[in-house]
Amino acid sequence: MSSDLRELIQPFAKVHEDLYYFAKKAKQEGEKVAGFLCTYSPQELFHAGGYFPVRVIGEEGGTPLADQWLQPYACSFAKGVLNLGLTGDFSFLDLVVFSHTCDTMQNLAEVWRRRVEGTPIIVVSTPNLNAGEIALTYLKRELTRVKEEVERISGNKITEERLLESMKLYEQHRNNMNRLYQLRQANPSLMTGTEMFTVVLSSFLMKKEEHNKLLENLIKELENISPQELKKPRILVGGSVCQAQGFIQSIESAGVVVSDDDLCMGSRSYVLPSMHQGEPIDMLAQMYLSRIPCPAFHKPGYDPAESYLEKVKNGHIDGVIFLQTKFCDPYAFNYPYLRKRLEQEGIPSLLLEVEQNQPVPEAFRTRVEAFVETLNK
Amino acid sequence: MSQRVSIRSTAKMKELMGFYYMMAKAAENDPNQKIAWITSGGPVEILHAGGVIPIYPENVAAMAGTLKISDEICAIAEEQGFSRDLCSYARTDIGSALSGKGPIMGTASPKPDFLVCCNNICGTVTKWYEELQRIFNVPLIFIDAPFQYGIKDRPEAIDYMEAQLRRMIDQVGEITGNPISWDKFMETLDLADRAVKLWREIQDLLQHKPAPMNSFDTFIHLAPIVTLRGTQGCIEYYETLKAEMLERIEQGIGTLEKEEYRLGWDNLAIWYKIKFLSERFSQHNAALVVSTYTRSFCYQAEDRDISNPLRAMSADYLAGYINHGLDFRERELYQMVKDFSLDGLVMHSNRSCRAYSFGQYELARTMEDKYGVPVLLIEADQNDTRMWSDEQVGNRIDAFMERVASKRNKNIA
Repeated sequence: MSSDLRELIQPFAKVHEDLYYFAKKAKQEGEKVAGFLCTYSPQELFHAGGYFPVRVIGEEGGTPLADQWLQPYACSFAKGVLNLGLTGDFSFLDLVVFSHTCDTMQNLAEVWRRRVEGTPIIVVSTPNLNAGEIALTYLKRELTRVKEEVERISGNKITEERLLESMKLYEQHRNNMNRLYQLRQANPSLMTGTEMFTVVLSSFLMKKEEHNKLLENLIKELENISPQELKKPRILVGGSVCQAQGFIQSIESAGVVVSDDDLCMGSRSYVLPSMHQGEPIDMLAQMYLSRIPCPAFHKPGYDPAESYLEKVKNGHIDGVIFLQTKFCDPYAFNYPYLRKRLEQEGIPSLLLEVEQNQPVPEAFRTRVEAFVETLNK
Repeated sequence: MSQRVSIRSTAKMKELMGFYYMMAKAAENDPNQKIAWITSGGPVEILHAGGVIPIYPENVAAMAGTLKISDEICAIAEEQGFSRDLCSYARTDIGSALSGKGPIMGTASPKPDFLVCCNNICGTVTKWYEELQRIFNVPLIFIDAPFQYGIKDRPEAIDYMEAQLRRMIDQVGEITGNPISWDKFMETLDLADRAVKLWREIQDLLQHKPAPMNSFDTFIHLAPIVTLRGTQGCIEYYETLKAEMLERIEQGIGTLEKEEYRLGWDNLAIWYKIKFLSERFSQHNAALVVSTYTRSFCYQAEDRDISNPLRAMSADYLAGYINHGLDFRERELYQMVKDFSLDGLVMHSNRSCRAYSFGQYELARTMEDKYGVPVLLIEADQNDTRMWSDEQVGNRIDAFMERVASKRNKNIA
């Protein structure tokens, strides 16, 4: 990678010093910050209501306060964020937004509401049925309710014009992220997976306005680089892990390149259809229902192997690594089927169980190395 | 140790359920008789109205647990890549579907013609039924019942349910080839309604001191309300059971020689340890007289519109204990403490069930601090025996009962 490129990536890396560097800075400048726990929260609505939406993620380390309220069989993500809520580390947030996805999230919102004081919360009751008119009608009413909640809490009226502006900004951002993913899929030598995930992680933690500018500069530069032959095997990572970067770094140190992902805090957040003309809440609802569904949801006729196989084919993937957060049921239920389908296509896969609040264990790397050896490239 | 007077009706229930399983088995080879697998919180009335035989993988898994064959069947699913951390019912059922092994005469349940999954009990069933759909390659009817965070259920969620149930009535008719008539559906709803009321009345009879049966009995007598809700047989059975309970109350028959303490139970049963738990609590003269679990099958929405039965049904299917947030659950638990004169609560922190279990620590603390109700948390699993220890749990029960007793003595003094 050239020094020019490195310089272009530098500003994104601020999030490695402090995940909430940008949020705290905005807060100091008098802005309101909304923390969301899931990419199914309609960030456009919160943005239009005058908030800077940032993704809430846990940190490395024990969770002694959360352990008092959640059983040992709760996932490390739920415990990690609850712990930071209880210590007061999230007190810079003016609003916390939960989305109903899995059983853990639904009860986490409840424990949080009763035990974490100070910050108002909103729970978005996303339909777990992800298709059809009936679900769409329900989601539109739910989003309208959420919009009214945001207006009530913030004191800001969300006009149609304002919401459309926010939606446009977010769409532009998705387009930029998609473009970046496409460039890398075609030419993984452009940057490492580790570098890519610095950009990806920051996309959930920086203002979209600012992220867009940096992205556009980066894309312009990347578009001028001609493809180089890549001798390393290409890996796709999938799973529910939020801060994938450490794991990706560890995987790449075994002599491969992580050239694509199927992470909810990754490509899946950015594969969304373009908006068409219409009433904004309706467009927003349609858009969220057309996402590659979160594994916690049911979409009639949808085959979870589809997006994997498509990426494997288009990106010439040599192997898939599942980063399976321990006690994350929706992903764990999909795994046997995904493994089987990949196997049928001759794509080897590796399941690695991870804890989101712990450093990458030594055994993780050993297992990746053993897996890479079998890829014989 | 205290002597128990056995419940006569149990024989009748075994007969009723035995007949039902026999019918279900026979239906497997009858192309004209459709079979659907359905979740315990699912709208089974629509199946009965459509002449479809319902099979409950959860019941079947619990039977496997009681027969102590669930570990072995779970292992089959685990070999296929299903994590040991996943729900043990799901692992039991998937293992059974994959291998043909099961608790009904040693075999798996009759194969489904279609599947009905309602997520008002948990999100796990969504994934579990997706897997069943892949195994059997049959239609899946999915009913999404939004979790209700507040005490009052949201009208938009009831509308959403109503639209889905209306569609399901059509779908079932399409699958069987016989559209469900509205009259038949209304008749079935009425039968279900009567059975639900009976089941609630029977459980409420346990408010009497001494309670005529205990929660371990209600775990067993739950089968018809889950499976046969909406049939005449279900009503007849619970009428018999209710009459027997009234008779026991009349004669002063309890489940213990001396019922000194009364406890409530939260979460699913620990199927493979019912006898152990029952005996251990009996040693302390403690009867378990109510459980949130068995009451889950008689929840009716608070402001149900009885002039519109489908709407009332839609509201009911949102109204269960575990489809609600912690304010609702707290209110229910405290109501149980008052209605059943409880001396304490036993909460089964159930590794298999995140939906039921997360929030229990919070509720336990609230019950202790706000209402002064002693709470025992038992860390276990509904079907997976591999982390259970008789000694450890036994000691905790003994210590808990000491706490309950000393509180009683303090109150008397």
